[in-house]
Amino acid sequence: MFERAILHMDLDTFFVSVERLKNSSFEGKPLIIGGLNSRGVVASCSYEARRFGVHSAMPMKMALRLCPQATVLRGDMDSYTLYSNMVTEVIAEDAPVYEKASIDEFYLDLSGMDRYFGCFKWSSELRQKVIRETGLPISMGLSVNKLVSKIGTGEAKPNGGKEIPNGTEKCFLAPLSTAKIPGIGKETYKKLSFMGVRKIETLSRIPVRLLEREFGQNGKVLWEKANAIDMTPIVPYREQKSISKERTFMEDSLDLRMIRDVLSGMADSLAYELRSKKKLTSVITVKIRYADFNTYTKQKKIAYTSNDRVLHAYIKELFDSLYERRQLIRLIGVKFSGLVSGYFQMDLFEDTMKDIRLLQQMDRIRNRFGYNAVKRANTLL
Amino acid sequence: MRFKVSSSDLYKKLQVGLGAIDSNPVQPILEDFLFVLKGNTLTTTSSNLDTTIRVETEVQGETDGEIALPAKLLLEILKALPDQPLNFEIDEENNWLEVTSAFGKYRMAGDDPIDFPALPEIEQEHTLTINSKILSKAIGYTIIGTSDDELKPGLTGVLCLIDFNKLTFVGTDAHKLVKYTYPGIDVDYTKSFLTPKKSLHLIKNVLHGDFDVRIYFNDKMVFFEFENTLFISKLLNDPFPNYNAFIPVDNPNTLYIDKKDLLNSLKRISIFASKSTNQVTFNLDESSLTISSQDLDFSNEATEQLPCTYEGEPVTIGFNSKFFMEVLSIMYPGNIRMELLDYTKPCIILPEEQEEGEHLLLLIMPVVMGY
Repeated sequence: MFERAILHMDLDTFFVSVERLKNSSFEGKPLIIGGLNSRGVVASCSYEARRFGVHSAMPMKMALRLCPQATVLRGDMDSYTLYSNMVTEVIAEDAPVYEKASIDEFYLDLSGMDRYFGCFKWSSELRQKVIRETGLPISMGLSVNKLVSKIGTGEAKPNGGKEIPNGTEKCFLAPLSTAKIPGIGKETYKKLSFMGVRKIETLSRIPVRLLEREFGQNGKVLWEKANAIDMTPIVPYREQKSISKERTFMEDSLDLRMIRDVLSGMADSLAYELRSKKKLTSVITVKIRYADFNTYTKQKKIAYTSNDRVLHAYIKELFDSLYERRQLIRLIGVKFSGLVSGYFQMDLFEDTMKDIRLLQQMDRIRNRFGYNAVKRANTLL
Repeated sequence: MRFKVSSSDLYKKLQVGLGAIDSNPVQPILEDFLFVLKGNTLTTTSSNLDTTIRVETEVQGETDGEIALPAKLLLEILKALPDQPLNFEIDEENNWLEVTSAFGKYRMAGDDPIDFPALPEIEQEHTLTINSKILSKAIGYTIIGTSDDELKPGLTGVLCLIDFNKLTFVGTDAHKLVKYTYPGIDVDYTKSFLTPKKSLHLIKNVLHGDFDVRIYFNDKMVFFEFENTLFISKLLNDPFPNYNAFIPVDNPNTLYIDKKDLLNSLKRISIFASKSTNQVTFNLDESSLTISSQDLDFSNEATEQLPCTYEGEPVTIGFNSKFFMEVLSIMYPGNIRMELLDYTKPCIILPEEQEEGEHLLLLIMPVVMGY
């Protein structure tokens, strides 16, 4: 019996599964989704490709060296969103409380359901229902908290389910590698390995004080995780705090005109997103990464707006004051934060009726035919 | 330098000049009043370089002279004394002052009057005379419209436009605009000047009573002269938009409503609007105005329906309630006329009946909604 029951569900190789639904000839073949150009990285890959050592976030060049016979797809975010929403619908229909943690991950709070249904039985039925209704393979883990459930899902993959009964969490974690704890990245893992800590069991026995000395505030969190302590609640709905866009150039560039146009394009599409969500932004951030990976950002607090004209002006101003190194640029990005709901205030002297009408007509066309249906000429890149 | 003066008289006069003294001036001498005695007239001058105030006080003078005296100390002792004649004696060689009251003697160190910045040369290029009540009203109205945005310095001032027999004051921050016109002057030129709002605040504070104010100005300065007082302000030479071109004249929809009803309703509704955007929505149809607001973050909502007379197409239009209440608060009591089109055009508010001998126009920009 669970006092608190948390179910974690994760779609297996989500992008790959969607591509296979759309084209069954990809079944059983190594498949890689990601950017095609020289700077692309692997976003998702099939288990067949993983056998060759390919994993996500690996540079595409290296992936193809490891597995030259793989089929590489550019990926289609729109259809992934569509399928993700289908899965969400199935879950929303049955689940008492759920949290969509990412495009392919869900947490459900099943506390108190044991008595009536049996949590694991109910969960397995939900998993089968997702598979039946969407055709996508999904794995799940059931335990007393988010952390253990997530690690459980990882162990259950591919296409399986795992229950970690109440009281056995520590035994379950003990033999696993510390790298399996979410939040332990490459660097922390390396450091732990140097300390001779490879198994979660070892980590759980290290005194908290020692970990705090080595890892600072993070040390306590590490210790708690290793001891299967995680009290984070299920958050059904998360207020979006910011929206952003980034672009890595195919080749590092000094073409300022092109860069400014790319920035305008990002501003346009983010501003459209703001307006269609009836939001306003109050903080603009511009980011530049130079060829040597040095990254700089600059932000500015502004009066609430979602007006293209105003946003363009501020972004241009921020970029001009941020770009000062006369060095090739690798990446640029724009972020709008400090979001609130509302409509933007018109300016008596700067906004003409014509501009406002133009903006609205463009938005109407985009609402019907998609964002790319109409664009400013300088952003046609 | 020696003179006798009533303590409350001097206190009142120095208070007028206090407005031009900053708390942390660039030059220490600007913490001082400049005292100049000639015969029976004591002239006190204070300045922050942008604004200079000169006030004349009648005293019983004995010997003429000059000195700069620290404002804070002087005002504090004058305030603490009950009304009585005071004896001022100044040693100009060592720059100290000795005040003798009925209670005793007070001594303070002054500064060399040479260091006090010279008064700008008075050039009476263009002159004009106007009643203090009208000027006070014009400043009070139009200052509400001005902006605090240092990036648009032109909008932080009030434009004064003189056109033969018409005097117009305009204040705007690009979201709202207040225009006040007074047709009762008579000059033979067309000119305009842009005064910073800070100076206007100071002038308005001392414009009590009913008297004539003489205004003269050139390209850099404006002078206001009234009742023993001379007010000098630097002018802004930043561009001011050609506001007239932006005031629509053909808004087809008209709303008639009582000012007080509308303002009170807005006060209530705006409590429920988002605190960061203050947005409220007006729904207008034949015989009623529905005002509503919504704060999605806290699930607050409010709606009120007001009776009104409306001529035109049904329309939905949104405003920033803070701006709206600010401009509406200066409107005369009684019915107002609101002329509007939709969210793409400025909305104009006029009194149904203008007060005699003046013309007041308010303008407010809507927020762009309607997707």
